[in-house]
Formats: sequence, C-alpha cells, structure tokens
Amino acid sequence: MDLNSQEFYGGGLKEGEVSTGTTIMAVAYDGGVIMGADSRVSTGTYIANRVSDKVSHLHDKIFMCRSGSAADTQAVSDYVRHYLGSHAIEVGKPPLVKTAANLAKRICYTNKEQLLAGVIVAGHDDADGGSVYVIPLGGARPRPPFAFSARARRRRRRRAAAGTCLKVPFAIGGSGSTYIYGHVDHTYKPNMSLAECKVFVKEAVTRAMCRDGSSGGIIRLVCINADGVEREYHTI
Amino acid sequence: MAALDLDVATLKPVETGGFDFGMTARNEQIAAAAGGRPMPQPMSTGTTICGMVYDGGIVLGADTRATAGSEVADKNCEKIHYLAPNIYCCGAGTAADTEKTTELIASQLELLRLSTGTQSRVVAAVTLLKRMLFKYQGHIGAALVLGGVDCTGPGLYQIYPHGSTSKLPYVTMGSGSLAAMSVFETEYKDGMDEAGAVALVKNAIRAGIFNDLGSGSNVDVTIIRAGGASEVIRGYETPNDTAPLRAAYARPKALIPPAAATAVLSTVVSVSDADAMEL
Amino acid sequence: MASTGAGYDLSPTTFSPDGRIFQVEYATKAVENAGTVVGMKCKDGVVLGVEKVMLSKMLLPSSNRRVATVSAHAGVAQAGLAADGRQVVARAREECDNYEEVYGIPIPPTVLAQRLSEYVHYFTIHGALRPFGTSTMIAAYDEREKAHQLYVLEPTGVCLRYFGAALGKGRQSAKSEIEKLDLTTLTCRDALKEIAKMIYTCYDESKDKPFILEMAWLCEETKFEYQLVPQDLIDAAETWAKKELEEDDDDDDDDEMAS
Repeated sequence: MDLNSQEFYGGGLKEGEVSTGTTIMAVAYDGGVIMGADSRVSTGTYIANRVSDKVSHLHDKIFMCRSGSAADTQAVSDYVRHYLGSHAIEVGKPPLVKTAANLAKRICYTNKEQLLAGVIVAGHDDADGGSVYVIPLGGARPRPPFAFSARARRRRRRRAAAGTCLKVPFAIGGSGSTYIYGHVDHTYKPNMSLAECKVFVKEAVTRAMCRDGSSGGIIRLVCINADGVEREYHTI
Repeated sequence: MAALDLDVATLKPVETGGFDFGMTARNEQIAAAAGGRPMPQPMSTGTTICGMVYDGGIVLGADTRATAGSEVADKNCEKIHYLAPNIYCCGAGTAADTEKTTELIASQLELLRLSTGTQSRVVAAVTLLKRMLFKYQGHIGAALVLGGVDCTGPGLYQIYPHGSTSKLPYVTMGSGSLAAMSVFETEYKDGMDEAGAVALVKNAIRAGIFNDLGSGSNVDVTIIRAGGASEVIRGYETPNDTAPLRAAYARPKALIPPAAATAVLSTVVSVSDADAMEL
Repeated sequence: MASTGAGYDLSPTTFSPDGRIFQVEYATKAVENAGTVVGMKCKDGVVLGVEKVMLSKMLLPSSNRRVATVSAHAGVAQAGLAADGRQVVARAREECDNYEEVYGIPIPPTVLAQRLSEYVHYFTIHGALRPFGTSTMIAAYDEREKAHQLYVLEPTGVCLRYFGAALGKGRQSAKSEIEKLDLTTLTCRDALKEIAKMIYTCYDESKDKPFILEMAWLCEETKFEYQLVPQDLIDAAETWAKKELEEDDDDDDDDEMAS
C-alpha cells in the first residue's frame, strides 16, 4: 500500500516531505508494555535515515510510536511532551498514559486537515499498569483488533466518531502494518510474559519489514514496566 | 504594468514581521500575463553538503556552486553558515532561504546567549530551526546539516525543509547527498581523529562535486573542536581552479599587445553642462 | 465608620498604612454574617451542611440552593452572597469540564482548589473589580489517590485543606464542636446528625429567621459522587439534633438544680 497516495489519505505528503513509511506496534503484556518500530525514514525512493528512532519519549514511562510525516509527528510529540510535562508538575505525580493519549488525540484531531500523523501512545502508570492507545490518522475509522468481540468492536467504532483514541490490548500501525494484520491476530495471546511478548513484537515487525519497501533498517524495542524502561535494538 | 491588473492588497508591506508570501500571488499573475515565457527562477544551491562527528568534535563540508536553472550562478558561494561560535550549519535548497533562515536563528541565539550568559546549545539551535521550518510548512526551502559542540559534547543533525530532524553520526544533504553518502557508508568509522575526519569529509564533497551536476567548484570545510573553538576553512581544496591551467597555456605573442602600442594623439578634459554637476 | 476605612477602603488596589486591604476584609465580613455552613471530612466521605435562611415564607424550599454540583466527583457549599457564589460555581464547572476535555481524567481536588483560588484572588488585585462576598467549601474525590478531600476557599483567594471547617454566623461554636469529634472514625451518616446539631445549636428561634437545612455529601454510599443528601436522612438528622438539644437543656436544668 502506498502511504503517499492521495486516494488513501485526504491530505497526503507534500512534495519532498519526509515520511516515516513505517512499521510500528505496541503490545500490553502481563506487567507492562513493549513498543516496537523499524528504523527507516524515506524521502521518495531515498532513505533519509536508516537508523532513526520512531519511538519518541513523552514522559518517564510514556512513549509514542510515530507514523506518517516525520515533521508532523515530531511536532505532535514535541507538543504532547510539553503539555504532559506541565501537567505532571501541576498534579505533582507521574502522568497517566490515558492523559498522554488524550493530549495527542486532541492535537491530532483539531489539526487533522494539516497533519499526516498516525500514532500509538503506550506506557506504564500506577493506576492502569501497562496500557496501549491508538490514534489513527485524523479521525479515520480504526480497525479494532480481533482480540475484541464483534459487539465490542462495533461499540468502539461508534465511540470513535469525534477524535479517535482507543484503548487496545495491542496496536499496529504504519504502511508495514497492513502486511501483518493476519499474523498478529493469529499469534496474539492475552497476558503474555515479557519474553513471549518480545518474541511476538520482534517477529511481527520483522515480517512487516521484509514485505514493506518503506519499512526496514533495524528493529527498535522499548520495554516499559513498573521497574523502568529498557531499550534494545536488533538487526535482521 | 497596469495591464497586469495587480491586486494592490497583496503588495502591502509586511506589518507583522516574518515571511510574507503575498508576492506568490503577484508572481502567478505575472507568469500568467507573460503567456508561457519562462519566469526567472530563484537561485538554488543544487548542492553537496555533509558533516560528521569525530573523536573530538564536528567536521562540516560543502561545495561552493550555486545554480539558477541549468546555469552556474556563483562559482564560489559560501554554504557553511555561522549560527554561534560553537555551532555552524550547512545549507542546501533555496539559497536565499538558507541564508536568511540561518541569519535569523544566529541572531536569536546571540540574544539568548546575552540574556543567559551561557554558551549556545546545539539542541536549542535545532529546536529553533525546526519550529520555524514547521511553521512555514516547507515553503522555506532550507535543507540543513547542523553541527556543533556544547557542554553535552558534539552534536550533528539533519533538518528537512518541513521541520523534521534526525541526530546522526554522519549526514549528507543536497542533490549530491547520494554521492557523498556512498563515501561515508564505505569509509566512516566511530572515533576517527581530526585529520581522518577532515579527509573523509573532503572526499565526500569531492564525490558530489565530480558526480553531481548541481554541485561543483571548491570544498569548504569547518571544524568545530571540543571546547567549542571553530576553524572555518574557505577553499580547503580547489580542484576546479582554472588559474594554473591558464598560466600553463602559452598564448601566441600576436594576441598580447605590447605596452604603449597605441599612440596618444590628444588629451582634452571638458565639463559639458552645469546641470550635470548638480546631479 | 470613620475609624474603619479612612479613605483606604475604596478599592482593593490600595493598602492601608498598616498593610491591610479593607475591601477584601469587608468581603470576609459578608461571609461572617451569613448562615452557618459546616463541612467535615469523615472516614468514608465528606459531608457539607448549610443553614439556608428562608427570606420569605412563600419561597419554595428547594430554591436558592447553597450547595451545587460542579462535576460528578466534586461539589461545593457556599456562605455569603448567593449571586457572587454563582460566579464561582460557574467557573468551577468550566474548570472541571476543561480539565477533563484536555487531560482525559477528572480534575484532581488539589488542582480544582488551586484554579478556583487563582480566580477568586484575581478579583482582589484589580481596581475595577470587587472581591467575592462568598466563601466556598469544596468537597471532591481524587480518583487517582482514592481519597476524598475538603477545601475552604475564602474571599481573599486563600484556599486551604481541612478535616473540618465552619463558616458564617455560627462558625465559632461549630468549630469547637467539630474539634471534639474523632473524624478518623466518624461515618458520614453520623456526621449528618452532628452537623444538624451544630447548626441547630447556634440557631435562636426567637431571634433568627427560619431556615432550611441543606446537605450534600460525597461518600462510599454515593460511589463518591457529589449528591444532595436524601430528604429522609436530613429529616432524621434534624429530629435527632432537636431531641439531643432538648436533652442537653434538660441536663443543664438538672445541673442547675443540683448546684
């Protein structure tokens, strides 16, 4: 699927704009979340950065996987980081992942005509443990994963009418994700262990990177749980 | 010009500061009125620029060709711009945009230094630039390689016209970036020394000069060493200098007129009109 | 009145030579003369009670409410000028809605108190404005900390957190009564009775105008939603309070006889 095609997204990339034609994902496991991404950033057919970091830090234990326009998603994550920092100071406690996702949703939705940004916000907090929120491209209909019942999926789609921000057990995104919907729906199990979850994410991102021309480079993983944050990367 | 039926409103001076795109409409009107005749193009730095991190700091490199369409507009232009004593920035894209944008950010950084009394930070320069470029949504055609050394050590960034940035150990940009990148991808190693780094940057720019039509002339190099001391070397290498070639060419004697070959017949100085004096 | 303002009380932007701002002090006075308001943070929730003075016998008892809900998990009770109080309530509702819209979670009580105190304080630092003649008790539930809290916001803009607080005419006696209670073990249901008693204690049927006891709470029983206390519970508390007071009177009489 061509991320840049005008038919697929209303706006599309502007001429010469840098895109994170991407594979990103985040999965909640027993005790935390694992976020994964490829590292390819492209301008047309040229790879602008083969080792980029698409998992941006928002707060101590909250991160954002970015897909779409590099400039737009960097701007969105910068704003969320800024507002979340002020908020954390105001309440005097680490912020909730839910709050970070809500801020990102507001920015993405109120500027949806100007932005090309599909992001996943995930992290760990003391109230909800590990959680994953998906914010699809400007108000687009999301595709709730099959981990939900058909009824729950319908309910969630209705609620998604204005400014989408869905709490999900796991999320995939970016151009590469289209190749692995079947794989992840088939392979996902609730309450995986850290080790199982790491294998699940690595496997899925690898498969997407192999099939999608806009995804590639290395696999970056960020594991977030009560103990802290650990980053690692893998080469295929 | 009256025949063009210009909208006067778009020609009003800017009152709010910043860039004014009012002239875009005017230019479109003129182009339409010109009936297909070619319009003048902005000078662009079809360019090779690059930078790399070495053991003690940063080396930036650039070619010196500026083009307007297929014509070389300037054979020795300067593409490594000053931002702060410890931060420099190579610019590719629209020459006027890279020039003015870096000038503006340099001025903001200087004011910031005066008010905080501290050395400029590389991230601060990157943030100012990306915010400005993002605000103008890619209409400012500045593709930059920014390098500097601050209290956190050396930092090298690439910045795209739409405002996206990445931090990398080696970076190339401009039309010659592919040629230059191939040199880095084969030769770059972590923790190189200064001499090695300068040689690698020079080779990367030479690859652009000799393989990319948009790049040419000389290699400029700027070194920013740990501690923030910078050295700007204009014309680090001049592989296209024509002077030696010209000197080596023996011109036929007949083409060189001897001194006093023409006789002076008369010398008269006169003031033709009183009005002319007043001009 | 010559001794009071002496020209320094015309605007809240003027300090008196001894460092007072008379306009704000007068606003505080408006609260001190108002019907008693009592608030207590108990074991299982917060209870607020108001002595709502009935200005006319023809007035509908439910009109002129002095307690108000500002969001699902926060509410107020006010002493002083009712119309001024409406401004604070409107602002509180706005703050609650806005916070939830932006951050996706209910506003924590500390933040609500902080933002309302900034609002009220603003009216004490501008020459063109008049301070609010209202003190506001805020009862709110912190979803994250699973804790209920009680704040008092004064016309000065100061907002403090309390275990128990009292405002208005009967505040002194009510405060000394609250101090006698063990609020770590007292339940909200028992607090209803105690508050009714405090308000009836300082009420003199022969001198004071008739009043209606208005009560609201936020407790385990209401799932920490701020709600009006059901009328039957208020009635029961009133009956209990009146009986207690009669017994106290009898005890006093006995004491007198004994002495």
